[in-house]
Formats: sequence, C-alpha cells, structure tokens
Amino acid sequence: MARILVVDDEPIVLDGCEATLTKTGYDVDTALSAEEALMRIKTGRYNVIVTDLKLPGLSGMQLLKTVKDKDPETDTIMITGYATVQTAVEAMRLGAFDYISKPFTPDELRSIVGRAIERRRLLGEERLKATKNRVAFEYNMPADLYYLPEHSWVRRMTENTVDIGIDDVFQKTIGIVTDIELPSAGTIIEQGNAYAELYGIAGRLYKLWAPVSGQVVAVNEKLKKDSSLLNNEPYGEGWIARVESTELDKDIANLLSGDAMIQWWLRREIVERKTDRYVQVSALDPDFKHEIAKEPGGENIKVCFGCGICTATCPIREIDTRYNPRKIIRMAILGMRERVLKSDFIWLCSTCYACTERCPQDVKFTNIINAIKNIAVKEGYIHHAFTAQVDLLAKHGRLYEIDEFDNRRREKIGLPELWTGKGSAEKIFKTSGLVDILKREAE
Amino acid sequence: MKYALFLGCTAPTKARNYEISTRKVAETLGIELIDLTGFECCGFPLKSVHYESFLLMAARNLYAAEDVGLNICVLCSACTGTLTEVNRELASNDKIRQRVLSKLGKQDGEYGFAQNIKVKHLIRILHEDLGLQKISSKIRRKLSNLTVAAHYGCHYLKPSDIYDNYDDPENPHSLDELIEVTGARSINYEERERCCGAGVLAIDEDIALSMAQKKLENVKASGADAIILMCPFCGAMYDENQKRVETKFQTNFDLPVLYYPQLLGLALGIDQKQLGFNLNKVKAYSLLEKIG
Repeated sequence: MARILVVDDEPIVLDGCEATLTKTGYDVDTALSAEEALMRIKTGRYNVIVTDLKLPGLSGMQLLKTVKDKDPETDTIMITGYATVQTAVEAMRLGAFDYISKPFTPDELRSIVGRAIERRRLLGEERLKATKNRVAFEYNMPADLYYLPEHSWVRRMTENTVDIGIDDVFQKTIGIVTDIELPSAGTIIEQGNAYAELYGIAGRLYKLWAPVSGQVVAVNEKLKKDSSLLNNEPYGEGWIARVESTELDKDIANLLSGDAMIQWWLRREIVERKTDRYVQVSALDPDFKHEIAKEPGGENIKVCFGCGICTATCPIREIDTRYNPRKIIRMAILGMRERVLKSDFIWLCSTCYACTERCPQDVKFTNIINAIKNIAVKEGYIHHAFTAQVDLLAKHGRLYEIDEFDNRRREKIGLPELWTGKGSAEKIFKTSGLVDILKREAE
Repeated sequence: MKYALFLGCTAPTKARNYEISTRKVAETLGIELIDLTGFECCGFPLKSVHYESFLLMAARNLYAAEDVGLNICVLCSACTGTLTEVNRELASNDKIRQRVLSKLGKQDGEYGFAQNIKVKHLIRILHEDLGLQKISSKIRRKLSNLTVAAHYGCHYLKPSDIYDNYDDPENPHSLDELIEVTGARSINYEERERCCGAGVLAIDEDIALSMAQKKLENVKASGADAIILMCPFCGAMYDENQKRVETKFQTNFDLPVLYYPQLLGLALGIDQKQLGFNLNKVKAYSLLEKIG
C-alpha cells in the first residue's frame, strides 16, 4: 500500500486530504509544518509527499530540496494557493513531480497522486527490464520543442504563435485518455494555470497547466472524436491548442529545451534511476582521486592503468557483478564522487587481498576501497552492519559480548575466565573522533 | 617459548574448539601461552570505517603485550594481519607513532613502543619458531589413513608486504607441511586460494554463502576427509554455516571441519575429548572412526 504524507499548516486542508486519500486506499500521515514532516520522514519512507508551498518555518520548497537529497525516489507534489510559472518550473527543476492549485477537488488530488504512483511503477518496470537486458520504455522528447518537464510541450509555429500539447511522459503516466475538455477559441490562458482537462480510465481527472500565456486561436477538434491521438501521437496529431502569445520569449525562458532538457533528464537517469549508462561531466569532481590519495591506504590510486587484473581475480565479482574493482577505480579517478560514496557496492569487498597481490602497479586496491569507505563514513554513508559492529565494540570491547554465563561455560570445559564489561573501545572512539562522525550521520 | 595469547573476538565465543585444542597442543609441545587482560578487539572491523580508530585499537593491544615483554601468538588470521600491519606502521613511522602514543596517553621512548614486539599466527609459530622436526619428535600416532584439505584463508599470508616474505601467498606450503608431519596427506584441490566469504557475511549473506559453497564443493570433490582451518572467521563459514549452505544450494557436504590444532592434537596422542571435537558443528565421527 502506498504511503502518502500531506503537509499543510491548515488542519482543515490536512483533514480533507487525509479523508480523500485514505478512501482511495492509501496509508496517509499528516504534518502541520516542514519540520514535523522531516521528523516523520526519519521514521518511515513515503512514496509521495503532498506539501503546501507556503509553510511556517521551513518552506515547502526547502522541504522539497531536503526530500530530494535524502530520497530521490520519493515524489513530491506542491500545493500552491496561486499558480506562477516560476513556482511550477522551479519546483519541477528541483525535482517536484507536479503541482496542484488551491482550491482543488478530491478528484484532482486523487488523480495527481495516482499519476505519481503510476510513474514510479513504470520506472520500476523499466529498471527491471533494463536489468534483464530487454528494451524498456522509451520516452520521446523531440529536440525542437520547449517543455514543462513531464507535462507539456510547446512548438513555435511563428514568431508569436505556438502549438501546445502533453508530453510523452505525462501521457504514459495517465494511461488511456477517454475524454478531453478543450478550451474554446478566444479563451485567454495564463502560463501555470489550468487550461484543459483530461479524463482517464475510471473517470480520473487530470488538469493541464498552460505552458504559455496568450489567447487560444484554435483547438484540435479531432481530439473530441479520437482522444487516443493524445496517447499515440502526443507531438503530432495529438496537439491540443494553438496559442497566440504576446510575451512568448518571456514564457519560453521559463521552460526547458535542448541541453537544459538533456541535463534534467540525465539527472533523473543517474540520481533517481541509478543507471550506470551516463557520465555527467558537469557532476564530476576532479579532486576526488586526490582526496582518496590523501587517505591512509589510498596513496597509490593514481598509478592504476586499468589493466583489470583486480577484477578478473576478484571472487566477489565472480558472484556479483555490482562489485567491480576496475570500474570502481575508474569511477573514482573520473570523479564520480557522489555515486561512489553513496553506492552499496563499495561495502562488498571481502578483504581477501587477491587483487592487491596480483596488481602489476602495486595499487593495493584493498586499501583503496578502505580509503573510499572511510571517506563515505565521514560523509554520512555507512553500511548498517558496520554501525552495529562499532556499537558492539563500544559496549563490550569485542564483537561478541562475554558475560558471567559465558565464563561459567568456559570454566566447565577447562578454559580460563575472560574479562567482562566495557573495555576501552568507547574511550578510543571518542579520542579518535569516530563518535562525532557517527553522531553527525545519525543527525 | 612463551607468548601472550591473543584470542580476538571470535575464537573465545564461536570457536572454543580452536581455543581448547590450541591450549592443549601448546602445553604438550612446551609452548607457554599467557592470557592478558589488556587484550580487546584487534580493530579489524574499524579499518573500513575509521582508520584512526583502527590504529588506536590495534596499538592498544600491542602496547599491552610490550608492557609485559611478550611476543604475541594469534589464533585468528584477520587479527594477525591487523596487529602485524599496525606494528610495522608504528615501528617505521615516527609521526604516526607519536600521534597514537599521545592519544593513548603514553610516552614514546619509555617502552620502545612496538619496536620489539613480534606478532605471529599460531601456525607460523609452530612452523617457524618450533619447527617441523621438533613437532615430529612428539608425534605419538601417525594419521596415515587421513587425507585432508588445507585452507590457508586470506590474511595469514596476505598482504604479503607486511609478512616479510614468509611462505608464498600464491603457492603456500607451511600448513601443508604441518599437516604432513602428523602423517596425514594434504591433498591438492581446485581453487585452494579461494576466500571463505566471511568478510561479507554481515553485508550480503547470499554472496558469502555462495563463496563458502564453492570451496566446500571443491574440497568435497577432492575426496578429502576434512578441511583444515587456521582462522575462526573461516570456521564461521565452513563449520557453523555449512548446513545453511547445504540448504541454500540443495546439496549435501557433511564435510568435517577441523582446526589444525585438533588434527595435530590427535597425532600428539591427545584424547579427542580434550580437543573440543564435541564443539564442532559438523561432527567428525567418520574421521575419528577412520583413525581408530
């Protein structure tokens, strides 16, 4: 069951949202502030967070940034009392899934949350297919268009006239479109405000936000007879309206296209989908290899010439291809700092030293991976197994507690008694600074 | 011959058969093992997390031994590697030594800290310090009916640059020779150098059990009566987890897992009841019957 967190400083809004979403079948929590929301997020994971933009204390935008940082796979929907394009695009650029304007109906809320959950399901399917080397969904994003990402597109027809429609991602998340409420010619639309409505299966309602401001000069009447054009040809025969705009350049400046759109997608692919397919040059940290070289054990990272003997010899790699010593060094030398430090694979080394013994360059990979793990811990990324081990050492001075009962068992078989109690590990961890590092991570 | 006995975390709790047989064998061979209350965890788990804590934990133990003027006999290979590495680091790097001493509240020069301590695995002590000839002279019962598989593990000889060229990490022979001195045959088998997987057991159990399965399969295929170990981490995989490996991979090994002192103890004429065989998870009845 999907878990939803609703954040708003008005209890009546929270009650209404909770009632609507609970009836829909979701597990719903509420919070009156961003601070309260962050406390809740610490204790449990949510699939979707619906938050007001304006909150006392930390704003909804700040909450969005924190959530995206901690868990990119949680989708955030912004509630706004007014729709401005700056709000919409900034929120979406920061990774918000979508936004909804007050006042909104229960149907609108259900539809937008449902679309977020559906999109996550599709992403999950894609990942699964990718791991099985099958062709996954492809999203079409023609290069000559401007986008409100994962929502609408704009095609410039003349200097002041554009065609608008829904993009491929949006139509895939809503599924089959059964009906559409088109604006009539002559309607004035405003960028960021609703201008049309789509109906999906089971009568789900989806509001379309206008990507530009202006006057509707024509609508695509074919859609009333054949709404499947929206699914099958979203950029061609599925266009929705033609708009004459007097401030087109200003509107388009708030949308994404070309390189900016690619960057936006690469960020999604790499951070949210965790795919290895792209190297985003702008995200590389050229100092990372130097940082590793300064750590005890990391000194020889720069002498690696990538022969791959370490990988060929690695018994872990033989069983699980996530762990690839040559690839890890390559990523580190390239500067993929965040990906390496946040990864689960750096913890898979069994410290057998086979790679170290066979390396022709004396890189000492076992020590390199330890250096990387040490940096990861300082950044707050530590495998829970090691947190547990540090905790045991601090309490007992050993990985396993020895108490009076154990000593009685030892005595029975003729073994001498061993000391019990705390030992000096806890004091050592305070002196060495480990306690402070782990405290920061816990916070 | 007198040593401070470093038990580590795992031997006294998960491999008491290793500890019992070691003490008995040492007594028979005239090796005195002294228990120090100053010994705690060697620091091995901390190397992945915080190098400074790793240094301090290991250094504390080395200091405890030097305090009483004893070299250290270690049962666990991971502890051997840790204490050996830190010992060398402290002896060769003044800056690190001063920093470690200061954090432990000690003065340099007072005790010649860690310059004089030798850290050796039990197997190396038997092979190098005591010697095969001395051991051979004490053998009471040749175990000629037995064929066993030596498992060296990873940290007894690696990384080789801390072990001053003792034995050959790619083609070792010290444990084989110690096995053969008992009269048993040490058989060659596929992928002898394979790691047991204990290092990732807490991280990814499936990977660890898969690694153990490969070794057990190879040893079983060789026809060996038992696998001979020298590290309680390896014991955790091959003995304690053998049943789980069998269940996961739908196979049956029923392969006795002995620590070397248990094998040597039998050859020295020590009763198997005094060698902790009752604590072996995979029972060695068939092996014990074979030697009579």
